[in-house]
Amino acid sequence: MIRNANEIKNCKISTASFRDPSGFVFYRDGILYRQINDCYCDQYKFFMDSGLYGVLVDQGMLIPHEEVDGPAYDDRGAWRIIRPEAVSFVSYPYEWCFSQLKDAALLTLDIQLIAIEYGMCLKDASAYNVQFHRGRPVMIDTLSFETYTEGEPWVAYRQFCQHFLAPLALMSKKDVRLNKLLLAYVEGIPLDLTSMLLPRTTWCKAGLFMHLHIHAKSQKKYSAGMPIKNEKAKKARYISKLGYTGIVQSLRNTVKKLEWQPGGTEWGEYYKDTNYSESAFEKKQAIVRQLLEQIHPGTVWDVGGNTGVFSRISSDMGIPTVSYDIDPSAVEINYRKARQQQENYLLPLCLDLTNPTPGLGWNSDERDSFLHRGPVDCIMALALIHHLSISNNVPFEKSAAFFYNLCQYLIIEFVPKTDSQVRRLLASRVDIFQDYDRFTFETVFSRFFTIINVKAIQHSERTLYLMQKHGK
Amino acid sequence: MKRILCRRGFIGLGAALFFVFVVIQPAYAYLDPGSGSLIVQGIIAGIATIGVVAKIYWHRLLKLLNLNKKDEE
Repeated sequence: MIRNANEIKNCKISTASFRDPSGFVFYRDGILYRQINDCYCDQYKFFMDSGLYGVLVDQGMLIPHEEVDGPAYDDRGAWRIIRPEAVSFVSYPYEWCFSQLKDAALLTLDIQLIAIEYGMCLKDASAYNVQFHRGRPVMIDTLSFETYTEGEPWVAYRQFCQHFLAPLALMSKKDVRLNKLLLAYVEGIPLDLTSMLLPRTTWCKAGLFMHLHIHAKSQKKYSAGMPIKNEKAKKARYISKLGYTGIVQSLRNTVKKLEWQPGGTEWGEYYKDTNYSESAFEKKQAIVRQLLEQIHPGTVWDVGGNTGVFSRISSDMGIPTVSYDIDPSAVEINYRKARQQQENYLLPLCLDLTNPTPGLGWNSDERDSFLHRGPVDCIMALALIHHLSISNNVPFEKSAAFFYNLCQYLIIEFVPKTDSQVRRLLASRVDIFQDYDRFTFETVFSRFFTIINVKAIQHSERTLYLMQKHGK
Repeated sequence: MKRILCRRGFIGLGAALFFVFVVIQPAYAYLDPGSGSLIVQGIIAGIATIGVVAKIYWHRLLKLLNLNKKDEE
């Protein structure tokens, strides 16, 4: 009898975990658990007893878990329940900057190399198995390991190339924005498309030539419905351990060589906010800190976070903070800084707020939408409202309703028409924004929020507001 | 004594192989590796193996030459 998932023991099955029969993820009373099925029992025991689990967890490469008692989500086939350490925010490869995707790729390959030493290997190499946890990438799928059998090929090779190598090569060699193809292809970017888009010069790079161009040709030649007739080709299926490790090492070298510099300049000098005087900038930082201290939020999203200057006020207070920006260069700079300084509470991500990440995959909910990952305690929208209202023609009403659905508290900056940034936005177009003024802004936002603090930023014409959602 | 240790080693190895290949049931390989991808892996694995073997022999050759030099000294 099929039982209704939502009615069993206050449990809810994850919509992202159904492809692998080894087990799946579910939530009980808001806590995430993973059910291990009978068919994975021996593999799991080997994984734990061989010492591989311990090594990967000690090196911070795999999410730790504990085995727990308690009812399974589904008793049929259930063998054990584990409770993995919770990841504070789930993000996806199409939201990552170049270095985030590269670090996730290298993590996957390093785990594979270590696993081989312990007589195991990765049975999948999905980019969705990696999350950013406490500032660094970590593998979250404990059931991705299986025993290695000499002679067998790496079953996840194609997946790795489509999920990691193809987008990284396109970002590095063609255009950094091409990682957005992952939005269209949740199973990874097709290699024939990648091969076609990449510049011809990449045919001269040994790694890209083999793993992408020849790989794409081979896929086309032996596509579905075309069985491998040739005996030589059948023999090619046997891969020695030396060759197997060689493939992974070759992928690692290829990924390692791929580079991208934000804005074509040294990242440290790239993004400077030139619109404030130094004094006004410091005043704004002080006000933001003061407002955050006033509300003590548990989580913060900084939308339009740029390189994360103001996000860091929040993350430095120990508040898990996601710093979103539309500019891949800004996010790249932000991530490199966070990685260099080993910042545990800051997660930079790429996001176009006017077209936020939709739900994707099977039933449109295998990968959560941006909105579905909310609400949060506090949203910071600093130097953003003029971009929404004037650059994108989004009325105050719509902006206020959007934030109302996503947060309890809103720290928002109003930038008047007299500000140099707004004047720049209006320089090339007719000013149709007669209602873009502070009075209308306050009136409209007051329909959704209670304004609990207003602070003028000295030495500028801007104002910072702390607002609390109505009805709470 | 050495023979006993050797025998124990074989028994241990046998037990490990038995555990890996007999006791451990294969998990369901739920991904399709793709025929074209398998062929490419075979080619790359072959190249990688040739590369590693060539490297080993190259180092052996260098070592041999170094030894010859030392012997001469």
